[in-house]
Amino acid sequence: MNSKVRRLVPAFALLLSIVLALSGCAQKTATTGDKATDTKSTASDTFTFAQGADPRGLDPARVDDLESGKVIVNLYEGLTKYAADSTDVEPCLAESWEVSDDGLKYTFKLRQGVKFHDGTEFNADAVKFNIDRQLPPKVDDNMPYASFCFGTVKEVKVVDASTVEIELTQPNTAFLANLAMGIASPIVSPAALEKSGNNSVMETPVGTGPYKFVKWNKGENVVLVRNDDYWGEKAKTKNVIFRIIADNSARVLALNNGEVDMIDGIDATVVDKIKEGGNELYEAPGMNVNYMAFNTTTKTFKDAAARKAVAQSINKEELVKSLYQGYSEVANTILPTFMPGYDAGVQQVAYDAAASKAELAKLGIKKVHMITYSNPRPYNAATGSALATAIQGYLQKVGVEATIDTYDWTTYKDKVKAGDYDMAFYGWIGDNGDPDNFLNLLADKDPNLNIARYDDATYKDMIKKALATPNGDDRNAQYAGCEKYVAERAVWVPFSHAKTQAAYRPGVSGFVYHVTGSVFLSGVEKK
Amino acid sequence: MLKYVIKRILMVVPVMIGVSIIVFSLMRVFSPDPAPVVLGQHATQEQMAAWRETQGLNEPILKQYVLYVKGAVTGDLGTSYYTQTPVSKEIAARFPATIELAVAAIIFASLVGVTLGVVAAVKKNSIFDAGGTLIALVGVSIPIFWLGILFIMFFSGYLHLLPTGGRINVLLEPVHVTGFYMLDALLTGNREAFDDALLHIILPALTLGMYSMAIITRMTRSTMLDVLGQDYVRTARAKGLSELKVVGKHALRNSMIPVVTVIGLQFGALLGGALLTESVFSWPGIGKFTVDCILKSDLPIVQGIVLLVAVVFVLVNLCADLIYAFLDPRIKYSSKKEG
Repeated sequence: MNSKVRRLVPAFALLLSIVLALSGCAQKTATTGDKATDTKSTASDTFTFAQGADPRGLDPARVDDLESGKVIVNLYEGLTKYAADSTDVEPCLAESWEVSDDGLKYTFKLRQGVKFHDGTEFNADAVKFNIDRQLPPKVDDNMPYASFCFGTVKEVKVVDASTVEIELTQPNTAFLANLAMGIASPIVSPAALEKSGNNSVMETPVGTGPYKFVKWNKGENVVLVRNDDYWGEKAKTKNVIFRIIADNSARVLALNNGEVDMIDGIDATVVDKIKEGGNELYEAPGMNVNYMAFNTTTKTFKDAAARKAVAQSINKEELVKSLYQGYSEVANTILPTFMPGYDAGVQQVAYDAAASKAELAKLGIKKVHMITYSNPRPYNAATGSALATAIQGYLQKVGVEATIDTYDWTTYKDKVKAGDYDMAFYGWIGDNGDPDNFLNLLADKDPNLNIARYDDATYKDMIKKALATPNGDDRNAQYAGCEKYVAERAVWVPFSHAKTQAAYRPGVSGFVYHVTGSVFLSGVEKK
Repeated sequence: MLKYVIKRILMVVPVMIGVSIIVFSLMRVFSPDPAPVVLGQHATQEQMAAWRETQGLNEPILKQYVLYVKGAVTGDLGTSYYTQTPVSKEIAARFPATIELAVAAIIFASLVGVTLGVVAAVKKNSIFDAGGTLIALVGVSIPIFWLGILFIMFFSGYLHLLPTGGRINVLLEPVHVTGFYMLDALLTGNREAFDDALLHIILPALTLGMYSMAIITRMTRSTMLDVLGQDYVRTARAKGLSELKVVGKHALRNSMIPVVTVIGLQFGALLGGALLTESVFSWPGIGKFTVDCILKSDLPIVQGIVLLVAVVFVLVNLCADLIYAFLDPRIKYSSKKEG
């Protein structure tokens, strides 16, 4: 053993000397300049945020991923915006608005004196241009959220330079929340779009936001600089850099080394390392839900009694604690707790293994078939297969044999569409912070969205009515009613809401890590 | 000689056809439908069907292939499904990073590998030989991602000497001339940028070059041992030449032919992109990008990169063959003597 170690010494010594010689050489020459160790972005006028992947692009109409959204919300703005700590809608580029009594006409009064980063004027024409490009006949296949955000828009009229009127085909209260979204709705400079020649600013973004685009080195970083002509409060930090660090451990090391100021995409395994590095953790509830759905069209589960009996067999508290180690919270409702319409009084089926066993035996349910996905999802870090295996264990205890078929995510979606299952696992990432976005899933006719294949006329009416009701207590109470309705019928078993997590250097303050997953950096400061 | 070079370059064509057929078939057969990835969580069945139609994915596969080849010949490799950016632009944005890293890695691997190999052969059965052999063994066996993380933890996390990843501090980035940061920094006389780029490339180059270094060490040692046992080396020694001359001039040059082949092959492989190293060090090259695109079923990008790598591989091998002629004047590239 000793001789082996002795043999290793020259090997290690050689390697070490090569690295030290190389780094020493570079360090030595670097010290001749002012910035001897400028490998760190410690300068107080530069804030570096590290994320796991490149943005898909920087044209809000042409992307659907959070990585793009994080950059986009600092470059662009929409007519409305979310409150900092909830999904309540507030004015932004629109100072105020009025909704007609029938809920079909929205008249927005626009903020005046706002300029795009290219110096052109923001006005009613720009709003019309941006919405029209996402409506037929101009909309194209590569606008993933056009239909979601503007599918109910009939026409956009320019009343005058600072007034715009949007007519809808049907009442849709969620429309105001759609306008606050970080994708599809942010307003792009029409001049920039025309200049691009292909109706796309994927790599040349021009908005009205607190930061301007400087450059994007693909796979490496996106660089923004403060917009000194911003209409509102100017950004506190001059430069913002989004660095792409794909590997989770490497991202943590970069934070601990002081090369970056903030990271996200954190999992349980790296939390200790982050704390050891003297960094702060940021944790907030996430806008998502991780659930299991019963196929309500099968013989076994068309009756609520069978669904309730199976739901009774699952110890949700224990399941969430062991699978997610505290990084997801138990879901007692479909809606996350911060969303309008959330009601703490909603009761899901309670855990009672004995009662479940008796009821299942009475109903004669001995076998069930589950399908699941093999990969982790944003709402289920433990993977669909781990979750399904846990449920299989609970069912075994109550005398039910569960078979599991596991597929990769895209194949899984095909299997869900085919509908050959008793129970399936899924989740939902909220888009606009409106309760309709979650609860409408159970009223949707597309089996890829409504995987319980739940078809209940009463529920559909409740959802339709709530969607048309103006924001306020009445609407929220209606959605709470919808939650209670499906909870009583045990159509889904909501398991958990994954938390949003980030970590930052000590001395960093002023960022807004929004529940929608967007990160607003105009208020960020470093000490 | 010229005829040989032309012939070798023409050989790229059948290689490319073969490679493109294989990649095209594999991607079409094994990759999942790109439509759900591209269109997102709200896509309806109708939207997905319409998208497939506009992308030509409903055409017979042979027709798709012919259209693809037609485009490729005119320099149009298509557009990325995911980012909607031309494939050539996406690749051009990342390939310089891969080349820069591969060059740095192969320089490290060749210098250290040949030196260790020669020392090990000359001082056979000494502690130097054992050390060199051990380094080669470790280099071949060690998992690259683990080595990379260890390097980062030690040199960045503990010693705070080197950055954890990336190509350069973006605020120091030199004006783009060639896309190779170190070269650009030199060309524009930006010393600070050069130093910073050098600091950034050290750890990824060492990590990536470790395996090649080990292979080169082994190859150099064995061919050197072979050559050192030859009669003419004994004659050279008998003539009273210094050991340095014997080893440096007579033995080394003659033992280099297989080593050059190995270096060429290793360099070709490094140019194909290094997934793990690029991932660990956040190096923005084509390796990590290729895997991302495979996972997203972004077929045009994957096809484009594979074709590019095939061309590079053939050209690198050609260069290695041409270096033979320099190292061994007996080799003549006339068509008659070939084979």
